[in-house]
Amino acid sequence: MNLRSLIAGISLGILAGLWVMPGQAQEPSVDEIIHKANHMALYQGADGKGKVSLVITDKEGRIRNREFNMLRKNQDNVDQDQKYFAYFKAPADVRKMVFMVHKHAALEKDDDRWLYLPSLDLVKRIAAGDKRTSFVGSDFLYEDISGRSPVDDQHELIKTTDKFYVVKNIPKRPESVEFEYYVAYIDKATFIPFKMEFFKKDNRLYRLIEVLKTENISAKKNGKDVVYPTVTSSVARDLENGSSTAMIYSNIKYNVGLSDDLFTERYLRRPPRDVMR
Amino acid sequence: MKALKNALINFSIKHYKVATWMMVVFTAAMCAFFPMVEVDTDPENMLPRDDPKRIFHNETKKNFALSETVVVGVVNEHDPDGVFNPATLQRIFELTEFAKGLRWQDESQPQGFSGVIEVDMFGPSLVDHMSQGGPGEIKFAWLMNKPPATREEALAIRDKAYSNPMLKGRMFSEDGKVICLYLPLTDKHLSYRINSELNKKIAQMKGDEEYHIAGVPVAEVAIGVEMFSQMSVGSPLAMLVIFGLMFLFFRKMRIIILPMIIATFSVMATMGLMIALGFQVHILSSMIPIFLMCIGTVSSIHILSEFFDTYTQEKGREESIKEVMHTLFTPIFYTSLTTAAGFASLTFTPIPPAQVFGAFLSVGVMIAWLYTVIFAPAYIMMIPERKLANFGMSARQTETQSVLAKILWAMGRLTSNHAKLVIFFMAMASGLALWGTLQILVNDNYAKRFVESHPIRKADIAMNRHLDGTYTAYLILRGFNPLHLTENEKQEMLTKLREFADGIKNKFPSVTRLAQEISQEIKALNVKSQSYNGFFDTLIKRIDQKSEKASDDDYYAYDELRAFLGVEKEKQKVFKQPKVLSYIAALQRHMESYGLIGKTTSLVDAVRKVNQEMIDGKLQNYRIPDKMPGVAECLLQFQQGHRPKDLWHMVTPDFMNANVWVQLKSGDSSAMKAAVETVDDYFKSNPPPAMLTHKWAGLHYINLVLQDKLIPTMLRSFLGSFLVVFLMMSFLFRSIKWGILCMVPLTITILIIYGLIGWFGKDYDLPIAVLGVLALGMAVDFAIHFLQRARVKYRELGTWDEVVHKMFGEPARAISKNVLVIAIGFLPLLVGPLVPYKTMGIMLFAIMTLSGIVTLFALPAILTVTQKWFFNKIK
Repeated sequence: MNLRSLIAGISLGILAGLWVMPGQAQEPSVDEIIHKANHMALYQGADGKGKVSLVITDKEGRIRNREFNMLRKNQDNVDQDQKYFAYFKAPADVRKMVFMVHKHAALEKDDDRWLYLPSLDLVKRIAAGDKRTSFVGSDFLYEDISGRSPVDDQHELIKTTDKFYVVKNIPKRPESVEFEYYVAYIDKATFIPFKMEFFKKDNRLYRLIEVLKTENISAKKNGKDVVYPTVTSSVARDLENGSSTAMIYSNIKYNVGLSDDLFTERYLRRPPRDVMR
Repeated sequence: MKALKNALINFSIKHYKVATWMMVVFTAAMCAFFPMVEVDTDPENMLPRDDPKRIFHNETKKNFALSETVVVGVVNEHDPDGVFNPATLQRIFELTEFAKGLRWQDESQPQGFSGVIEVDMFGPSLVDHMSQGGPGEIKFAWLMNKPPATREEALAIRDKAYSNPMLKGRMFSEDGKVICLYLPLTDKHLSYRINSELNKKIAQMKGDEEYHIAGVPVAEVAIGVEMFSQMSVGSPLAMLVIFGLMFLFFRKMRIIILPMIIATFSVMATMGLMIALGFQVHILSSMIPIFLMCIGTVSSIHILSEFFDTYTQEKGREESIKEVMHTLFTPIFYTSLTTAAGFASLTFTPIPPAQVFGAFLSVGVMIAWLYTVIFAPAYIMMIPERKLANFGMSARQTETQSVLAKILWAMGRLTSNHAKLVIFFMAMASGLALWGTLQILVNDNYAKRFVESHPIRKADIAMNRHLDGTYTAYLILRGFNPLHLTENEKQEMLTKLREFADGIKNKFPSVTRLAQEISQEIKALNVKSQSYNGFFDTLIKRIDQKSEKASDDDYYAYDELRAFLGVEKEKQKVFKQPKVLSYIAALQRHMESYGLIGKTTSLVDAVRKVNQEMIDGKLQNYRIPDKMPGVAECLLQFQQGHRPKDLWHMVTPDFMNANVWVQLKSGDSSAMKAAVETVDDYFKSNPPPAMLTHKWAGLHYINLVLQDKLIPTMLRSFLGSFLVVFLMMSFLFRSIKWGILCMVPLTITILIIYGLIGWFGKDYDLPIAVLGVLALGMAVDFAIHFLQRARVKYRELGTWDEVVHKMFGEPARAISKNVLVIAIGFLPLLVGPLVPYKTMGIMLFAIMTLSGIVTLFALPAILTVTQKWFFNKIK
């Protein structure tokens, strides 16, 4: 190769680099995407409450319902720790059952979880460990409700479509989960994860969660009106046994000023009226 | 009849080439369908598709998401800790992971794949373990999320497993020596592929564990495989044996080729026809070739035998064969017809495989008959005259000096000289046999279809030695909703609501007033004929409306009322009620106390286990909660694990149907019958606390259903074909008393055979049941030949003494050869590992031999004593 062509080659390279640069500047990094998606999915507002209805439909089309009220409170402004309180209203025979979580986002720290069973009159701590068990018999897992922490996975932006950032997430501790990886389709505009596909070995899709509906929920923040785009309807499908669960949120309120002591053990037995109505 | 006879005989002799071509072309055409063969080894298909019990069985599988399952048993008898040692658990873990991958893409399946259903697999690394964590702490975890590294870890897994009654005796044996992996399949027909993949994997595994692969689907496929080997080995072997025998009798290759051709062509044409008409080859119909192999040769043996006697050079082959055919056409026609009729009577059983078997056997017999009458003379016509020189005479001379001939001479003398003694013995034997017949036990066992050295049988024996039974049946309990509430019941409910309100008025001051209001309003609505649900829904809706605008205090009071009514409404869900669960628990206890049932599992066990662990893990809390919401909480907790759907194998989501898994220690249908009776009795003497019906499902139950049908239907078929054969005989001889006489030998034979079955306690199963019907049509043939010939001879000779003398010459020899060919021809059924074939082989050998002997003893003895009465019209 002679000098001229070398120079030409380099300048071509620079040109090409310049050509690409502006695009890259607009494109957020994968960490940014994940950070924003995590925020949109779980951390909007300082706190929030809502009514949740689960409709579980099995392969044979048989339906079971669950209904609970949920409270959520962020512990910081950096999308880390959170507290959850789920108060069951239906089926009638498990009414007043409560499930409470103190979520710790750090990889090394397990969540604290409590369960209250009114008829057996038991408050039980749930031992640290697996969060990938079914949430009240639905196709959602505990981890889907309180959210999987971004630090649990390695993220890789595999594709950008005109609507979505497609991010592949590979668990850092594969022995703690049943999937090999999952792929999240994150909306470019709102950063709401619209679809999550879970894969087992040999790239077999076995489970997916899809957003069916989002709504803009108005709220006050520091006296100003704000709008939180919120998922109000989603579905989890278990492709292995043909079952699916629809999750529908209603009466969503943000920044209601929930006090921290609502999320303590003594309120499990006598839940605050805020939760019940 | 005469016209048909003459036409056929003339046709085959005059146009022997055309006759031959017709046979060849038809057979070849039928053979063209062979590649379409399909095998059916499904025990379910023993019942018609629309059988209510089969429909229920399939509904149950759907309602409770039950799949056909392959079971892999891993046995370690060497380690002091049994299978609970790190090395064995490591291997089991590895095998489980391997089994998870036994699936293949398949768009025709709703799940998009076919193979092992991973989510429903059952094994130590796949199940949850619920236990106590710290104080007041409950722990949900996998029983074995990774293989243990040390002995301590392995023993810890053992202890956890032992603490769960739902696993003990099912996933692992109480003695700790066996762990089972359960691999449910999307389609049971995959079991062959799964089985061979597992075997490949197992072959690579080190260690001294034994591996057993069992389960009904594996057995089914194995039967299919063995059936083919039986057909491809057994039938040619039968051919070889028959060939050998005939060579012994006739010593002329050119001659004995004839029966072989007829039999082989009949087999091929019949099987081809069956396949062409879209019937699958079942364990019974796979025996058609061997049956036809034996039966197909019979008529031509008679023709050959007679041809031996008749042929002289002066007469020539055409005249000789014409004479032979005229003598034998009628008996051959009738023997074929009776045999076919006997087989055809199987079509009246309600067992589809038996119907197909009977129908095509009888078609096959008639094909063999047709081939015999058109081809036997044609064949002889094709043999050059010079080759037949000295043929008859020389053969006859050796014949009369043979051992067989001498024995028959002696028999002839014995029966006519000591006729009364012979009759006395026959009567005695029949009497004893009748008593034996009454001792017969009906029983069948799917696993016992294989000989003990077969891997499937070995697996069955090993696993049942350790586990609490591997034969699963499902006891389905069904509850009923009250559809309507009476006016009184509605009032009572409203009263209960007010009483409930009174009870909580301290906490909710306004609740009494609100409850009053509600019940007034509901009364005012005065809705007639409202359904149970409708009534509650109206009430709850009313509360919803009122509470929406209510003050906070009223809202919470309304909420309590709503919850109370919600629970009342839930109470109609029968299998959430503590009293119903207690009843099931007692029923399970009762069943397990009864020897043949090893273990039962139901949602009661799940509820008790969760209750125990939720409270404090102590054994005393392994019990059903006192109140329905307590039960509901336990059920919900059960669903919080990794396998929430396990619950729906035990109860339907509406809690109106429950499934008690019953593991039987024996695969005998009699054990299943006893279990059914035990449960029936329990329900009778212990009325359930709510309206419950109980029904059974599962393949072992299906097997019993089949057994229950067996005796009456087979008896009906037997009597039916007995009657048909008797009528045919009466018609043939134009005499009822001759008809009766003709039935005597086979009646005695069948009595003695079934008497022996009863005496020796051999189970009366499907092959044995079918046997009687089959034997009837075949066994009567000897008597037909004997009597027909005796009558002809009597016309010639005029006195019975001379007839007897003649009868024990050529006719007796022909009959004996016939007996030997058929009897010994069935013996190749003994080759191979399938027990039903062996049973058939031995029993047919016994029946044919015995009926030959009885024919040659009883008939001459009876005729000697009653000759005047029988022969008075024949002259």
